[in-house]
Amino acid sequence: MKNSICAALAAIFLMVSGAFAAEKVYIVASDATWPPMESMSLEKQVEGYSVDYIKAAAKEGGFAVDVRNTAWDGIFAALGSNQADIIASSVTITDKRKKAMAFSEPYCEIRQAVVVPAGSDIKTMADLDGKKVGGQIGTTGLIQALPKARSKAVVKSYDEVGLALEDLARGNLDAVICDDPVAKYYANKKAEYRDTLQIAFVTDDVEYYGFALRKNDTELLDKLNAGIKAVKTKGLDKPIIEKWLGE
Amino acid sequence: MSNQHPVRIEVTDGASIPDPRERGLNAWSLAFGAAVIAMVYLWFHQEAESGEYTYRNIMAFLFEPDRSRMFPFNFMPDALLVTFQITFFSFLCTIPLGILTGLGRLSRNRCLNLLTSTYVEVIRGVPLLVQLFYIYYALGKIIQVPPLVSAVVAISICYGAYMGEVVRAGILAVSPGQTEAARSLGFNGAQTMWHVVLPQALRTILPPVGNEFIAMLKDTSLVSIMAVTDLFRRAREYAAESFDYFETYTVVALLYLIITLLLSKAVSLMEGKLNYYERNRK
Repeated sequence: MKNSICAALAAIFLMVSGAFAAEKVYIVASDATWPPMESMSLEKQVEGYSVDYIKAAAKEGGFAVDVRNTAWDGIFAALGSNQADIIASSVTITDKRKKAMAFSEPYCEIRQAVVVPAGSDIKTMADLDGKKVGGQIGTTGLIQALPKARSKAVVKSYDEVGLALEDLARGNLDAVICDDPVAKYYANKKAEYRDTLQIAFVTDDVEYYGFALRKNDTELLDKLNAGIKAVKTKGLDKPIIEKWLGE
Repeated sequence: MSNQHPVRIEVTDGASIPDPRERGLNAWSLAFGAAVIAMVYLWFHQEAESGEYTYRNIMAFLFEPDRSRMFPFNFMPDALLVTFQITFFSFLCTIPLGILTGLGRLSRNRCLNLLTSTYVEVIRGVPLLVQLFYIYYALGKIIQVPPLVSAVVAISICYGAYMGEVVRAGILAVSPGQTEAARSLGFNGAQTMWHVVLPQALRTILPPVGNEFIAMLKDTSLVSIMAVTDLFRRAREYAAESFDYFETYTVVALLYLIITLLLSKAVSLMEGKLNYYERNRK
């Protein structure tokens, strides 16, 4: 009797440890408020360019991922507290961010776009001086593009870019700055804003999105970079670009 | 303490008001001392590796004044100023709203009573955060309100209901003999309320009203969702940029704690003054 219990326990232990050893699922954090890069589908799944890209790269790199919706404000803290292993959330690679975390090879090239109400006379960065400019808290539009241009705009930060654009449409803001794919999505594709909002201009500076990881996670970084390389050489990114960024 | 006042209304949400006569080591002095010492320690704290003053940078950022404001506000910490502004204006609106609601709840006029009771019932059933979102984004579809105004309106409407309950309890706590005496002396209903009942009720309700003020100050941190740059919003902006989440929120928590502890001390001193006559009668 005792032996059989021991055997059963051993069997359970082996099964459990075997299950763990078989495949480590890496947790991917995405802030699903940044369409078309990351957003929530009607089936309550995180979808978008970054999501499809990380899934493709993971498949090529030979590891499994589980994408979870995480609020942008504090998304980087999820890395430090081990709640996520990878951040796939349109994170621009910046020198400052590089000090705090590791980045994969770039997977997308973007610029900053300024969205204004239709008929606004804002045309250049200089026109924003003294105007109320909104954006999502901690995004490169607010923390990099505006300070770099020495803009004298009055900056208002929102939890989500969608809330900023809603405030813009209602007349509480003069402009909203965000990544150009997002700006194009809201100003050109979204029915509510198609007639009321327009893109005033796009900055010259190019930014690159990267997947963010913990600095000491070099093994995962190598696998991920190999995956991204495979995606690019095999042309697997073409349908993803076509699907999410096509006209 | 308990036998000095006929009734003592306790509100659970606010900071606990220290006993004005308490001396020596107590919860208040311990919390306040620890918070201040922690703040001073963090100010001088230097990172071992980089030699950076992480906490000092955070405090400097949070206390940065907005030079474009008019005198003397251009020397005050901008974020803190907004937090106090919202609290102060909301409080101003809440007082009359609370008195009206409290009186309405006690009114024998069925229509008035039903109206105010429904108001209290509805407001108490909706979380403040949801109310803030509702007033700013949903109501904003009809009328346009700047963030600061909508924050004040939302907090006032919410706290008006709570304040109404405090006022009602305070009025009920005044002995009915007072009303009867005033009426038999020829005062009419309104005169009785204004000259006899309300002044006595005021003494009972002032401590809980002070408590509500403190609770309100804490709840202003919720308006950071509406792009109102209050203390908490500034802190979140700093954290999002520097990734010093733990450090920033430590400083903010300590700041809020120090402010509420100072305010609760002030309320406690005020309460001590109000009890003056009752204390000396014994």
